[in-house]
Amino acid sequence: MNPDKENPGMVRFLSLTEINSIDQSERVRLGGLVSPGTIQVSENNLLDCNFRLKQGELTVLVQFTGTRPDLFKDEAEVIVEGNYLNGIFKADQLQTKCASRYEGDLKDESIYTAESV
Amino acid sequence: MISIFGSLSLSLGLGMAAICITLFSIFLKNNKYRFFIAGSRAAVVVSVLSILATIVLLNELLVSNFDVNYVAHHTSLETPLLFKITALWAGQAGSLLFWLFILSIYTLIVIFQYRNSFTNLLPWVIFVMVIVQAFFLILVIFVENPFAPTIADFQVTNGNGLNPLLQNLTMAIHPPMLYLGYVGFTVPFAFAIAALITKDTGSVWIRSIRRWTLIAWLFQSAGVILGGWWAYHELGWGGYWAWDPVENASFMPWLTGTAFLHSIIIQEKKGMLRTWNMILILTTFILCIFGTFLTRSGIMSSVHSFAVSDLGPVFLGFIILILVFCITLILIRLPVLKANKKIESFTSRESGFLFNNMVFGLICFSVFWGTIFPVLSEAVKGEKITVGAPFFNQVNIPIGLILLFLTGVGPLLVWRRTSKKALIRNFSAPILSGIIVFIICFSLGIRNTTIISFPLIGFVTAAIIIEFQRGVKSRVTRFNESFINALLTLISKNRSRYGGYIVHLGIVFMFIGFSGKAFDSETEFAIKRGESKEFDGYNFELVSITPEERPNHIAWIANLNVWNLNRELITTVFPEKRIYFHRHPNPDKRQPHSELDIYSTFNKDIYTIFSGVDMEKEIAYLKIMINPLVWWVWFGGYVLIFGTLIALWNPKEKS
Repeated sequence: MNPDKENPGMVRFLSLTEINSIDQSERVRLGGLVSPGTIQVSENNLLDCNFRLKQGELTVLVQFTGTRPDLFKDEAEVIVEGNYLNGIFKADQLQTKCASRYEGDLKDESIYTAESV
Repeated sequence: MISIFGSLSLSLGLGMAAICITLFSIFLKNNKYRFFIAGSRAAVVVSVLSILATIVLLNELLVSNFDVNYVAHHTSLETPLLFKITALWAGQAGSLLFWLFILSIYTLIVIFQYRNSFTNLLPWVIFVMVIVQAFFLILVIFVENPFAPTIADFQVTNGNGLNPLLQNLTMAIHPPMLYLGYVGFTVPFAFAIAALITKDTGSVWIRSIRRWTLIAWLFQSAGVILGGWWAYHELGWGGYWAWDPVENASFMPWLTGTAFLHSIIIQEKKGMLRTWNMILILTTFILCIFGTFLTRSGIMSSVHSFAVSDLGPVFLGFIILILVFCITLILIRLPVLKANKKIESFTSRESGFLFNNMVFGLICFSVFWGTIFPVLSEAVKGEKITVGAPFFNQVNIPIGLILLFLTGVGPLLVWRRTSKKALIRNFSAPILSGIIVFIICFSLGIRNTTIISFPLIGFVTAAIIIEFQRGVKSRVTRFNESFINALLTLISKNRSRYGGYIVHLGIVFMFIGFSGKAFDSETEFAIKRGESKEFDGYNFELVSITPEERPNHIAWIANLNVWNLNRELITTVFPEKRIYFHRHPNPDKRQPHSELDIYSTFNKDIYTIFSGVDMEKEIAYLKIMINPLVWWVWFGGYVLIFGTLIALWNPKEKS
């Protein structure tokens, strides 16, 4: 989440329904969930990855090269910033919504067996 | 079981606060002293009950009573003792209770410290503080109750644990520091309201709250700096300030508080700027509440925000209430606040302070605007926009440089009017220093913003040294003291003044660090064991990657040698890639974490992050940043705190 890559300061936050109508040169932000099972990391360079970003029923293919945040995984809530070119969102920023505190649901501990913990 | 006592204390506290407010209302109407005594005692009880509730929660955290929802969510059996304690402010409900806890301590100190003084102001001061206490009591009782039971139809045998990012000593002290700052501004706020209501707006209230403001300011400064330190050492994006909404929230009251500390000097010495000072301190307090609101309401998506909650409307209501009350009160009291003097000359210390205030105001406004713009834009136009760091940097770098310049100019100006002769005498050496630094920078080929900032830093440093040198010289000639003796006596006889100059020096050092940002460089690469890669004048050699299993995580440790181009070993760093709870059967609970390593020297930091590991091929993916001069930010922070402590030391100083 390096906040100061070249970026004009103010960036529009779009939804996937609007993405086709924008100028390819405009930097925009998209937010959504990482569609489960779609994260593909390049074999040659672990820093290259693509995944599908999901907003409700809609998804878009996102390409990103760089250090991925620690919380990046299936179903993680992410924000990407970059350009939308020919059906692919080329992101140079990838942020996960940091759970800066644990606010997760408590799970019944009994479903985990002692040996697996 | 014992948590019932916590809930009970809070409820009793709120009831007592209501009684207290009633008693004070009666006293302020009929002026019968026994009502004041009773009201003060009630305020003591409110505070003690709030402190008691906090102790109960702390106890529940320590004994891991997972029947309390808050305990189950923020700690687990494995959580180390220190972090069981810090869990007190790690979550929403707990941190609100912690706010109340600090406010209660401050209230007790105020009641005790001023029990025999300020008989005119004190009832109103306590009155205001109890109202703020009542607000937080309502929050922790009705909106976010830290004692709420765990809602689960199964036995919770272990809690969630604390986020590994927060298991860090800095993170343990950063929030309490900020809170001591935020809450500390309640005291000057209460005095300001009291002064306005009693029309006693002269220098009495100003003198009484200068130290309180300075204490709050000290904690606020330390909190902001520690936050930056934590981000730099834990978050791993290589910076210490991202203009995140919550960082801004802590920065805004710092700005207005700093402006206030400067402009009260004019009121103390000249009786001017009374209205302005009122506005500044009221704004500072409102920004503190606003800051808490930003952090706690989830209105901003930010690293810091908690889950979206119902706190928003309640907080907003409270803020609007205070705002309307303060504005009305100031408008009613405008005639009393009118100053009887005007600024005589453009080149006077007064006008220097005035410019300083304008600049602080401007920075605060731009930060405020950038912070709330996304919210406004969404509310008004339905369009989501993000305002990023580049906006804040573009706007604030020039204003910040003006501020730096004024830091040097202000002290060189004389009260009322600076004569031409004095102007030349005071300014020639600093200006000369600035020019010399400029020539050096220019000949080194520097062409970015630092060609302005470094000369300004030279200018201000020279100005501060001259201030000290002049004072020392006059003592040496007058009292025939040795240099060191003269310096120490000079400082100890004028603590607030010279403490202030030391704070200025700290700020100048921090600006050296900020300037270093213009020379940052970074790279990312994959590196095989035994290989080395060159970057920015260094060779990075991956000696080994060692896996190591620890109690709650597994770590891969990269052993990275850093050589300079003459094949001299500079250092070895050990960044780690970790997975917390790696044996947890539920993969969702396993959490990767990059523990970075920094080699820090006064001229540059080598900042290394272990992004990913491929053990089969023995490849490490690394991100390397070379961050010049960051060391100065932390060093400046220490100097700033040292200077503030000097200014605070013992109020009995000779004028």
